[in-house]
Amino acid sequence: MPPSRPRTRRGELTVTHPGVAPATPAQDEGVARREDMRRAIPRPIGGRGRQRLEIAMFVSPALILMGVFVAWPIVSAVRMSFYRWKGFGPMDDFVGLNNYRLVLQDEVFTDAVMHNLTIVVASILVQLPLGLGLALLLNRRIKGRGLLRTIVFVPYVVAEVIAGVIWFQLLQPEYGVVDSLIEAVGLTPPEQGFLGTPSLALPTVFVVLTWKYLGLAVLLFLAGLQNVPDELFEAAQLDGASWWQAQRRVAIPLLGPTIRTWLFLSMIGSIQLFDMVWVLTGGGPANATTTMATYLVNQGTERHNYGIAGAASVVLFVVGFVLALFYQVFILRRDTVQER
Amino acid sequence: MTAGRTKQFGAGGPLVYCLALVVVALTLGPVLYGALGGFRSNEQLASDPAGLPDPWVFDNYTDVVTNADFWRYALNSTVIALITTFVAVLAGVMAAYPLARYRFRMREPLFMVFVLGLLFPAAVAIIPLFILITHDLHMANSWWGVALPQAAFALPMTVVILRPFLMAMPQELEEAALIDGASRIGIFWRLALPLSMPALVTVGVLAFVASWNAYLLPLLLLQDDMRTLPLGVADYSTEHSADTAGVLAFTTIAMIPALVLFLAMQRRIVGGLQGAVKG
Amino acid sequence: MRSKTRSAALAVLCAGALVLAAACGSDSDSSDAGGETTITWWHNSNNEPGKGFYEQAAKDFEADHPGVKIEISAMAHEDMVAKLAAAFQSGDVPDIYMERGGGELADHVEAGLVRDISDDASDEIAKIGGSVAGWQVDGKTYALPFSLGVVGFWYNTEMFDQAGITTTPTTMAELEDDIATLKDAGMTPLSVGAGDKWPAAHYWYQAALRECPEDVLKDAVTSLDFSDPCFVAAGDAVEELLATDPFNKGFLSTPAQEGATSASGLLATGKVAMEMQGHWEPGVMQGLTDDGKGLGDKTGWFPFPAIDGGQGDPTAQLGGGDAWAVSEDAPDVAVDFVKYLLSDDLQKGFAENNMGLPTNSAASGSVADPALADLLKVRDSSPYIQLYFDTAFGESVGGAMNDEIALLFAGQASPQDVVDATQQAADQEG
Repeated sequence: MPPSRPRTRRGELTVTHPGVAPATPAQDEGVARREDMRRAIPRPIGGRGRQRLEIAMFVSPALILMGVFVAWPIVSAVRMSFYRWKGFGPMDDFVGLNNYRLVLQDEVFTDAVMHNLTIVVASILVQLPLGLGLALLLNRRIKGRGLLRTIVFVPYVVAEVIAGVIWFQLLQPEYGVVDSLIEAVGLTPPEQGFLGTPSLALPTVFVVLTWKYLGLAVLLFLAGLQNVPDELFEAAQLDGASWWQAQRRVAIPLLGPTIRTWLFLSMIGSIQLFDMVWVLTGGGPANATTTMATYLVNQGTERHNYGIAGAASVVLFVVGFVLALFYQVFILRRDTVQER
Repeated sequence: MTAGRTKQFGAGGPLVYCLALVVVALTLGPVLYGALGGFRSNEQLASDPAGLPDPWVFDNYTDVVTNADFWRYALNSTVIALITTFVAVLAGVMAAYPLARYRFRMREPLFMVFVLGLLFPAAVAIIPLFILITHDLHMANSWWGVALPQAAFALPMTVVILRPFLMAMPQELEEAALIDGASRIGIFWRLALPLSMPALVTVGVLAFVASWNAYLLPLLLLQDDMRTLPLGVADYSTEHSADTAGVLAFTTIAMIPALVLFLAMQRRIVGGLQGAVKG
Repeated sequence: MRSKTRSAALAVLCAGALVLAAACGSDSDSSDAGGETTITWWHNSNNEPGKGFYEQAAKDFEADHPGVKIEISAMAHEDMVAKLAAAFQSGDVPDIYMERGGGELADHVEAGLVRDISDDASDEIAKIGGSVAGWQVDGKTYALPFSLGVVGFWYNTEMFDQAGITTTPTTMAELEDDIATLKDAGMTPLSVGAGDKWPAAHYWYQAALRECPEDVLKDAVTSLDFSDPCFVAAGDAVEELLATDPFNKGFLSTPAQEGATSASGLLATGKVAMEMQGHWEPGVMQGLTDDGKGLGDKTGWFPFPAIDGGQGDPTAQLGGGDAWAVSEDAPDVAVDFVKYLLSDDLQKGFAENNMGLPTNSAASGSVADPALADLLKVRDSSPYIQLYFDTAFGESVGGAMNDEIALLFAGQASPQDVVDATQQAADQEG
């Protein structure tokens, strides 16, 4: 029963995405509850027509908003991807799939895809264990627990721009706090600084991301842990299990659905990664930290290659979609199969 | 949270407290650095970025809070965040309700629409979105022009969080209400909404904080008097050609409202995320 | 006026997409209501004294031209760039606006948005001379530059004295000697904001200017053909300089001018001895020091040195600036106003108010700052001024070129790669 599946990382939700969180769909709180849910869907009152009307009324504000502000712009981006367009004048230079060819042949873009995937994997390997550990720690009855929980969430609430500005200062080569600390313990910081050395830049960005978003993982896992009935711990304790054994055998397996939810959010966030990279490195040095999103913003806004930017957005979406499908098929299915 | 647990089980030893201290230092260090940096002069920052304020300089903070622009930006941030939150929560819970409590053929496909919405970063569509808002809707440089698209991008997450919450609502309550002659719409207003308050608070706070911190979309859409605090930060840094200490003071003050709100609601958020109704 | 011509990271972000920004609210219809002609004018001097200076200019002009009304919009630079981009997108361009020239201008010309003023302003064009070249497309002039600067080395005279350097270098070999001398004295010779890319790219531009004869460069701007071997030689020269390891630590991620640890900040606070930058540098440095003086009277300037064996003119300079352009459907009197802005009196006042480097030579004497006066002398005596290549080639080609040059600085691209990447982007222009 342990969450036998891979684990993934958390994510930055991009720009306007409200931050967010967790879905924790139906925790495993027991089969009884689920049975309830199945029955919970009552029969329509007043016939099909009336039900349709009600559904339409409830759902339409959301659908209209999404249609206008999400779907339509995306359709436009797709259209843009077939043209060469500089941002003004008529969009009439149809180039077919040429923009896609350019994007996919551009090493900077393919590297960017790799950077996104690296962040996806690194998040699973680093943030999941860390977040889980912290959540378990904060679920212990230690003094100052409330304060501790509060503190862990602080970075998550700080705006990316602000966090970026602060970390940029901390990571200044030579004069920055981080370099000073490293020198203080007798080590030599990298010559070009953490953000200025191509091989170190991506790991450094990842560390900052972990700092920023670990709070989200902890938040989710804590919420999940509250659904674990105390009786289970008590039973484990009576059986002579140590605290750690109780966590491993009881808490972590029961967190399965929460972990999977986090996996999904983390994956999406990693694929869409933009703000923090933009503020910290702008994709440099030497394109060592470009992501798909920084690539497309750079192509669109700085080079005015709106067609290429459009093609890159479509590719970004496809990559995200494929990952989501993969997730749906191999990971989420466990939940849904049980649920419905 | 039951009181029944024995003392030693799950309580912390010295190692646990050490670990907690390390976590606190790593977590708060950068934020404190920013706050303290606001108490230093630019020259202090330049000559020793790692030092403490010496002497303490209060001008940076007083300059910020006595700056009329700062309050103007704060007002814009507040209004935009409130509209975003209101629209996202209301439209979100309305959409989540039938997705959770009605049985109909298009239910899962409809839900997938929202899940798919999660996959779109705003950056992908930012340029067409910009053209749409400025040229077609003529909402550039207005509170609604920023708030509505932000709410739209917040919707998928809102729906995804709210739906399981509403699904878990005990059926007995609903049946009782039906027997009393309530309509489904009445049930929504009088039963579903109040019962899902914890989850609504959660998605509301998350939407508010995200809007408060949003950067790219306001950057594109707002100018002059309409700018929000994160833009003010950027503005401050270009206008003062890198008054780093001033920027740190500005950022410190700008993050306070979001922090306070989030932290005050923190317990409820954890509760709201459990996806279950209490009682 | 500072760094207006080249915006820093945020500005660039603004600029782009954004750029399409603020479309609404730009009512630029030139109306003839009631026999009155209204001219809309956008500029970026939104602080005193510039703002008041331009208001007065408009008032004086209105007094001389009854029935003409000038509607001024003074905006922060980034806002203006954003609103302009939006204006071009919608075709609603103000009557008089600022053009940076080069490929951007060529695009505007191609879209039929900007007016050919070759004949209407022929006197002014003749007076400005070679500087106007960056605002010409196919031999026609579309804007009148009112401020034009060149890129060179700004240095800390005190640090040079301490290291025992008495004369500024005139050849690359001398520059490399000075770098060695400064390093021996325990100083960091140079800072560069390679994080923003364009400051690094300027080194390559300068080298290309020394390596390539004028006709090759002129030709490249129109034909976008970079096959001449001098372009590879330019990369070689930059590599040679890089081999002396002259730059501040972490220069690959250093921003150009934001904050005390930016390239300009390092020079302003005495952490490095030199930085190669444009004419806006003193203003930027002033903003980066608490006393608002920057390097003050320790500020020195010298042009990019000659390169041995280069086929380019060692006195040609790299530069750029701002020009007034008139939109295609502006009333004729708008052109008269632009000519008025370039008149002797106005340019003198412009210089006296430290708003920029005047292009009308009658105003050259009005530039008070000694380092800027040196720079102006070099500018005026140069045979021609090469517009920054990224501006000249347009964002698309220029952006690709800058990115690859940044890779060269990181040791991840060869001189040949720079040429190839630029050529590839150029070929896409079709």
